[in-house]
Amino acid sequence: MRPLLGKELWEVASGRALWTMLLILCPLLGYSFFQAVSLYDEASKAAAESPVLGSGLSPLDGVLVPTFGGLYLAATLLFPFVAIRTLGHEKESGALALLVQLPYRVPALIVAKMTAIFGAWVAAVLCAASSLVVWLAIAGHLYLPETLDLVGGHLLYGLLVGAIALFSASISDSAATAAIITLAFTLGSWVLDFALAGQPGVLGWISQLSLTQTLRPFEQGLLSAGLLLGMLAAICGFAALAAVWLHPGVRVSTKMLRSAACVAVAAGLIGLSTQLGPSVDVTEDRRNSFPAADQKALAELREPLMIAVHFVPEDPRYVDLRRNVLAKLERVMPHVMVRLVTSGQSMVGSASDDAYGEVEYSYARRSDKSRSTSHREILPLIYALAGRPIPQPIAGEDYPGYPLVANGSPALAWFLGGLPLLIVLAWWRSRCPPHVALHLTKNGGHS
Amino acid sequence: MTASIAPGPVLMQVTGLSKRYGDQRALTDISLTVNAGEVLGLIGPNGAGKTTLMQAIAGTLAADAGQILWRGTPLPLSRRREFLFYLPDGVRPWEDQYVARVTELFAAIYGRSQAFLAQTIHALGLAPVLRQRVVELSKGYARRLLLALALLTPQPLLMMDEPFDGFDLRQTRDIMNVLREVAGAGRALVLAIHQLRDAARVCDRFVLLAEGRVRGVGTLAELQAQTGKAAADLEDVFLALT
Repeated sequence: MRPLLGKELWEVASGRALWTMLLILCPLLGYSFFQAVSLYDEASKAAAESPVLGSGLSPLDGVLVPTFGGLYLAATLLFPFVAIRTLGHEKESGALALLVQLPYRVPALIVAKMTAIFGAWVAAVLCAASSLVVWLAIAGHLYLPETLDLVGGHLLYGLLVGAIALFSASISDSAATAAIITLAFTLGSWVLDFALAGQPGVLGWISQLSLTQTLRPFEQGLLSAGLLLGMLAAICGFAALAAVWLHPGVRVSTKMLRSAACVAVAAGLIGLSTQLGPSVDVTEDRRNSFPAADQKALAELREPLMIAVHFVPEDPRYVDLRRNVLAKLERVMPHVMVRLVTSGQSMVGSASDDAYGEVEYSYARRSDKSRSTSHREILPLIYALAGRPIPQPIAGEDYPGYPLVANGSPALAWFLGGLPLLIVLAWWRSRCPPHVALHLTKNGGHS
Repeated sequence: MTASIAPGPVLMQVTGLSKRYGDQRALTDISLTVNAGEVLGLIGPNGAGKTTLMQAIAGTLAADAGQILWRGTPLPLSRRREFLFYLPDGVRPWEDQYVARVTELFAAIYGRSQAFLAQTIHALGLAPVLRQRVVELSKGYARRLLLALALLTPQPLLMMDEPFDGFDLRQTRDIMNVLREVAGAGRALVLAIHQLRDAARVCDRFVLLAEGRVRGVGTLAELQAQTGKAAADLEDVFLALT
């Protein structure tokens, strides 16, 4: 496989698309980082007079997520062209006829191309990750688990876009058509996000298929085994489809049957992933969890907690309840079942229902109701149902916050000067002729 | 063309190969054999079906009907690349890569020694262009590169589409000598050629194609006997049979 892998990596490196993407990424990242640090600096100055404000300053929200937003834009709009080139160029030049005759099975060819695509994306992520070095250099704080979670999420997102692009190139006759198909996926996700998110029923379920939704948990400091499995299943599914459609000598009917099988397996795995256990909170400020004492006490409640929610899904109060209470309960308690009583109804239709807005909690054959969406009212209710005392808060567990009065200008020098120069040098180096052994250039051997 | 010699054993047999594009029949019931060590010429005008036939045999195009047999055993699509290699016409593969890198890639993939690689490069006169990109090559050098890639492969049967395209008379004769040496070493060659004079010089046997059908198969002598024109050259034979 080594010659094949080397060939694929050299093909990606020799194309203009990769280097152009990296150069465009520099000002995107630089501006995002500079803006984020500037806003963080202003908030930190205000926090100097109010410690309560300071405890809300988290580098993850304030600096890292906005900065990596530039990487998200690159993945969505630019990276497809880099990934498409790994196959589109060969199809257009006729080299595909040579490629499929090499002594490698088609899956091996696709694995090699996906490896090259991953390598190209790693180069982009490293550019973004250089912002972490700049942040540390200006005395910023980083918490490793949430940082790695964010970077890992972007790695997976880019790889998913790359797999979609490879599949698009596999089914298209030209790189232009492949680009349109890929952008339909990536930009179509924006439509799903804006137009369908929060809608009831099937529309709301469809909006969950948005590619952007896969990135949100990582930006919120959550690490989900289900999401990881789902993303990997989607990546492998698109790569498998690319393999099915790669060989020009296979009949279309055979390709359709194999595609159906791939889709079925991938859909099954994605369905399975939705059933996997809840996510892990890797944030330093534990924003996705209750206070430590409550976490410990709730983990000991072994019986099922049934929650009947009288909200429609698009109600902002339900969104608050979901984020502040229900999701955290599902992560900490072993058995939590949430049921939307008003599922399928609209907010207007449900408003006349007297029970609308109530949430009923049932534990150990006892139940109680509440209209609160705050854990400060709900947790004591649950402890009362379980016959447990309210735990005492643990001292010293409060998140201190990391205000930082800093100047983000050094980032501009790096992202607008140093990093682009490094990229240009690497590009130039990749275009230098290889060393040719003397015995190949001498006029020797018989013809 | 060489003097008549006893053909080697049958390597590949094509039976009943057909391909259509909508209402147009590109290939109709094509049957032929390829013997070990021979140079078989697929002769025909533009549009006769030579390229389609080669693509269907190689498996880079799905045929509608027919079978490919290797030494009498059906050869499935997944195993074609073990026994035959098809060199298409008019491609410039990996054009952003340097010639040296492309040739070394094929040598590495097929486990060819550096000595064999050097021998192939010198045989095809590629030494002056090793440090050039494929996109920068002239038509003739691009063709030489493709031939080099084909010669680096080890399969016992090599199919080439218009191998002399882009060469002048002297270069064509040189390449013919190279191909005759390759055939002499035991590899079977199937060459799609539309210049009949070139075909007559290099091929041992001929398959005459016209409008997707086989019009004649055999050595020149056999084709002459078929037409009843003992002194006819290949051009006259072709015109008589098609």
